[in-house]
Amino acid sequence: MPDLTNALALGASIAKGETTAVKAAEAAFARIDARDGEVRAWKTIDRQKALAEAAARDAEAPRGPLHGVPVGVKDVIDTGDLPTGYGSPIHEGAQPAADAACVALLREAGMVVLGKTVSTEFAMRHPGETRNPHNLAHTPGGSSSGSAAAVADGHVPLAIGTQTSGSIIRPASFCGVVGFKPSWGAVPRGGLKMLAESLDVIGAMAHTAADADAFAQAMAGRSFNPVQAAANPPRFGIARTKAWTSIEHASAAAMETAAAACEAAGATVTDVELPPAFAKALDAHDVIMTYESWRMLAYERAMHWDQLSPALQAVMERGAGFTAEDYAEALKVRSACRHGLKSAFADVDVLLTPSATGEAPEGLSFTGAPEFNRIWTFTGAPCVTVPGLTGPKGLPVGVQIIGKLGGDAEAIAAADWLRPLLAG
Amino acid sequence: MTIDDPTQLGALEAARAIQAGDLTSVALVEALAARREDRDNAVGAWASDSDDQDIAHALDEAKARDAEDARGPLHGVPFGVKDIIDVAGLPSRLGSPIYADASPAIADAASVALARDAGMVPLGKTVTTEFALRTAGKTRNPLNAKYSPGGSSSGSAAAVADFQAPLAIGTQTGGSVIRPASYCGVVGYKPTFGRIPRAGVKSVSESLDTIGVFARNVADAAAFAAVLEGVDPVTLDDALDRPRFAFCRTPAWDKMSSDAHKAGRAAADKARAAGASVIDIDLPPAFKEALEAQSVVQSYEACRSLAFELRFRCDDVSRALKDYVAAGYETSRERYDWARNVQAVCRAAMWQVFSQIGAIITPAAPSVAPENPADTGSPICNQIWTMVGAPVVNTPGMTGAAAMPIGMQVIGPPGRAAETLGHAAWLHQALTKK
Repeated sequence: MPDLTNALALGASIAKGETTAVKAAEAAFARIDARDGEVRAWKTIDRQKALAEAAARDAEAPRGPLHGVPVGVKDVIDTGDLPTGYGSPIHEGAQPAADAACVALLREAGMVVLGKTVSTEFAMRHPGETRNPHNLAHTPGGSSSGSAAAVADGHVPLAIGTQTSGSIIRPASFCGVVGFKPSWGAVPRGGLKMLAESLDVIGAMAHTAADADAFAQAMAGRSFNPVQAAANPPRFGIARTKAWTSIEHASAAAMETAAAACEAAGATVTDVELPPAFAKALDAHDVIMTYESWRMLAYERAMHWDQLSPALQAVMERGAGFTAEDYAEALKVRSACRHGLKSAFADVDVLLTPSATGEAPEGLSFTGAPEFNRIWTFTGAPCVTVPGLTGPKGLPVGVQIIGKLGGDAEAIAAADWLRPLLAG
Repeated sequence: MTIDDPTQLGALEAARAIQAGDLTSVALVEALAARREDRDNAVGAWASDSDDQDIAHALDEAKARDAEDARGPLHGVPFGVKDIIDVAGLPSRLGSPIYADASPAIADAASVALARDAGMVPLGKTVTTEFALRTAGKTRNPLNAKYSPGGSSSGSAAAVADFQAPLAIGTQTGGSVIRPASYCGVVGYKPTFGRIPRAGVKSVSESLDTIGVFARNVADAAAFAAVLEGVDPVTLDDALDRPRFAFCRTPAWDKMSSDAHKAGRAAADKARAAGASVIDIDLPPAFKEALEAQSVVQSYEACRSLAFELRFRCDDVSRALKDYVAAGYETSRERYDWARNVQAVCRAAMWQVFSQIGAIITPAAPSVAPENPADTGSPICNQIWTMVGAPVVNTPGMTGAAAMPIGMQVIGPPGRAAETLGHAAWLHQALTKK
């Protein structure tokens, strides 16, 4: 049976002829058949197409370390051969003319698109049908709900997520997988349904940091560089931001456990102070996101307002209330934070923060709060959530690693180092 | 007031006539459609084919707008849309045979939706080069059909220059708004990077792609850009008593023709004669690498953004585009990071450049339009300004060889739209004063 929980290992065994892309896709479909009635991670699947694509990959020499590996694509990203509905009734069933750039690049690297995963409405708050595979009565988080659940539940080893506030890191934390939000701009966004251009980032859901990194590199159209293990244990910094006032016991305990594990393994963990500009970061993120979404989704609001959820309407209306001057001021705060971030990293390699306020909330209507993600998305810094810990309800709780701007490889290396220390 | 020929009206003028009841949006669309029919064989500004129903859609829309109160300062005014930008109900063919049979777009691009929401009327799709890059479409320069209209926003520039539309949307990654505006003798405005939302635009190079506009005067361009940005109208700083310009040769100077040198110097003289202060400045040292860095960023990103077409539809990709992106494939990650860093350094240095001046003047193109419609010309005068994300206005008025136009670029620091547009409006008047 092909192992659907380790993409690089699966790619290696396909390359060696131990298994095939077709067998991997068949195993994925078997798992989906057994589980997706309950989990509901998938929006659209065309088995014949996926199997034909897998067979075509089996007939070729491997084009990269993930050749033949099946992946899920969040349904806010265009696929030229599968409908793309952006989680909205307005676009339900629409068929794009082309693949998004990131999809074309992952196909070029030999991966097989298994299908489209459920997204919340336009990657905002209004949830889809997906449930948390660890407890079906709980949310998987959002907006990359289906991608996180599909990976967590072993349907596919990799899936694409996108993040504007906390839409990769939070669902990954709730579902107990690795979520990787690369530096802003690393993965090309052509063919992504934009929500807020200054914030939207394409990233990865996986079971290991190395898998997430390899996947993101392929989607960025880069040649593969394996994770570089650090010579010394990383120097971690903890920045107690405004968001800490909303922390729940589960995340507070996870942070203590993770910090203790880091120190026990020889790493340093020190408190760091974020520069004063960060005091305005949460508000400025909200201005940029809402101001831009009012404009990015101008077609939908002007022509189909009644088909937008009340939650999205409220976000967009808040954006309509901000002026061009408010927006320009928020962009200045962002520049100041980006610049100021350098000082936070003066004596540490990466920051360690909670991934979410706690465990996945019960019920499907609320996908959880992005309070621990927004300021990092705002700055464009790379973020990785590392699974392994659980909370009082037995649900997964991740801890998040933040890298310097452009320091994606370092953040991934730290996550890779931390991952085995948290595994139960 | 009676209007003999509504095609001759500027956008704000037309909007005022519609408001006053002297003109209807339907009558304006009809007049522009008639003008298109007369001139289309000679100019070829429109990407639509006869089955597209773009005029029928525009007439329906215009009729609806005529029945309403004005929703904005350009209510009822039609505009052309570059064919890499989605308009609901019309196909986006992207200047590429890959999309020759594309289905009509389901949704408007964000910019088009904002214009429609403000009461404006999409008139149809204008010709673009292939994916807004090298390979020219069918458009000719309306001033002289032997010449290029420039590119990549070829049809948008030509349609406005030829009075087939009062306004049109274009995009610029290297010099694709300002250069065709220069060649066709119209106003082109590329706002600050990131201000007009790009959702629904074919992405070529995310760090550079910028939506811009064409018009026949600066006030029209400013009003249209504000609509596309979804902001209140910009109040032009046009009561400048003494504009402070700097004439800048830029790293492209040695590659410009003597025509461009002459036009540049003459424009500076005219500005001085009209009362402006014009000093000479050099750009900070970082800009020496700016041209090269822009090219690296553009080609690295383009070959990734166009991955679907280049990898999976490559039989229908032009030789010129394949040659162009080859450089992008060969560019290392380190080289790209270097180029992005140059971009950031130059961008930061813009404030220093503008500490003592209101705007830069420099030629908008290295010469008049090439005498070959297939050659859309060189973006060397524009690339560095796109790279730093500055607001840039092409200001017509000067001419070169064969009496063809050479525009002057008016450039400001990122974010300072009103002052830049004010300087451009002032210069436009100074250059066109008889």
